[in-house]
Amino acid sequence: MFLAWNEIKKNKLRFTLIMGVLMLISYLVFFLSGLATGLANLNRESVDKWDATGIVLTEESDKSLLQSSLTLDDAESIEAEEMAVISQMNAIASNGDTKKNVAIFGIREDEFIMPNVTEGKAFSKSNEVIASDALKEEGFQIGDELDLSSTEETVTIVGFTDEGRFNAAPVLYGELSTFHKVKYGEASEMNKDQINGIVVRADDVSTLTKDDELEAIEIETFIENLPGYTEQNLTLNFMIYFLCIISAVIVAIFLYVLTVQKISMFGVMKAQGISNGYLSRSVVAQTFILAAIGVCVGFLLTLISGAFLPSAVPVSFDIVTMIVYGILLIVVAVLGALFSVRTIVKIDPLKAIGG
Amino acid sequence: MTALELSHVTKSFGTGHTKVNALKETNFQADRGELIAIIGPSGSGKSTFLTIVGGLLTPSTGDVIINNQKLTALNEKKRSKIRLQEIGFILQASNLIPFLTVDKQMKLLDKVKKGNMTKTELEQLYQDLGIESLRNKYPADLSGGQRQRVAIAKALYSNPSIILADEPTASLDSDRAYEVMELLKNETKNKNTTTIVVTHDTRLIGYFDKVYKMTDGVLTLEEKESAS
Repeated sequence: MFLAWNEIKKNKLRFTLIMGVLMLISYLVFFLSGLATGLANLNRESVDKWDATGIVLTEESDKSLLQSSLTLDDAESIEAEEMAVISQMNAIASNGDTKKNVAIFGIREDEFIMPNVTEGKAFSKSNEVIASDALKEEGFQIGDELDLSSTEETVTIVGFTDEGRFNAAPVLYGELSTFHKVKYGEASEMNKDQINGIVVRADDVSTLTKDDELEAIEIETFIENLPGYTEQNLTLNFMIYFLCIISAVIVAIFLYVLTVQKISMFGVMKAQGISNGYLSRSVVAQTFILAAIGVCVGFLLTLISGAFLPSAVPVSFDIVTMIVYGILLIVVAVLGALFSVRTIVKIDPLKAIGG
Repeated sequence: MTALELSHVTKSFGTGHTKVNALKETNFQADRGELIAIIGPSGSGKSTFLTIVGGLLTPSTGDVIINNQKLTALNEKKRSKIRLQEIGFILQASNLIPFLTVDKQMKLLDKVKKGNMTKTELEQLYQDLGIESLRNKYPADLSGGQRQRVAIAKALYSNPSIILADEPTASLDSDRAYEVMELLKNETKNKNTTTIVVTHDTRLIGYFDKVYKMTDGVLTLEEKESAS
């Protein structure tokens, strides 16, 4: 620490540059992780809001809620501590001024996936819906009567709820009967038993159903199978991990060049009997100081710029994830320094003193 | 009391007809409190001798014994420890760390070993060397002679039992050179250390207890009168 810190103090410019590079990389990593979380939330936030452990769909739907089709009788056969039926469809909603792609959830008011109302009131009559407040930002208001694509029915927004997006589309929550009217029109009476899935809270999801036609899956599996969700996450995570490797390489190169410049100095110290261990620890400590300061500044910058971003940018900072990435960056930087440690160990003190 | 002993030490580089015998069979003994000079033309094997004594170079044959420890039987890690504890190097090339002030050069030694000089002893040493005003300067701000004196302070600060100096007075003017020799002599006598100085500087011969001459890898003890 003594050598490491004194050297940084004496050569401020050189080490500020290294720190700057680490800061920029960490800034990018934090931002990408924010984007990854933000985009993931866009897809899953309404599902997370259920706070469920599993969902029952038909086996042939291949884990897609929209493609799954079962009946209220199927729901009777499931024995879970808590369950809620759900129907879902996608539509374009228009209030006359704005058109917006929405997901419509048909639910029962007394079951646990009923959303909390943050503004207005809950639906009580047919054709009343609670809307995701993402629609509010688009200019939709309480009292708006919405025309829906592919149906003559209209629905009225009576309240808003937060965190209501499913697969990036804002959700309209309505009574199951409202949903059936919207979906089947005149045939709604005939289809009043139709639902898309059964959301459950149970300790062991896999034993929920013995029916071969049904499939009970963990909620996390359901989320991973949302269209595009896994692909998008893999892409962003790949970028993050690649940045970590790049930062390790950059740190390794920087420190290696600095170490090579100091070979004779290390040689002299080794001739005096200062151990390899002490010198190596000093280089590692130095890297740790640089990486820690760089990452912390990057962290602060990310939070500051995050505060000034328009809400249309889907960035959401998860502090725990960011701390994990920050630690990962520091660890890979230190690994990069080990490359220089090898060089130090190999220095022959004899050469340094010109013997 | 013998502090340092070389018995049947040789050193050769290369093999076959490119083989160079840098140091022919050498037997050498130095007692505590002795100030010894090694003189000789460049390329005669003086530096080889000094690096073997300092445990930086392993002899081809023979043994080096420092304070009853057989240096040649130890691995590099243990030799490194002996260098740290027992030996003070004053090197021709400056052995100062460029990013540490004079004071911190000494402090570094406190970090890696115990038994260094006390604060008052260090103050006295600074004054003897005339570097007390330089304590907060970096090596780059010092002249060659000042750097050399700081390097000497650094070697003495760790209270070594053996001081190995390679041309310690090379970049000093005559007055300063005499002062440095005086200091090394006092240090040798007061602390009962063994000091070996490799030098070209024949003006200084008078300070030494013994003068050896190195010629083509052969070390011979000179009679003092004939050396000067």
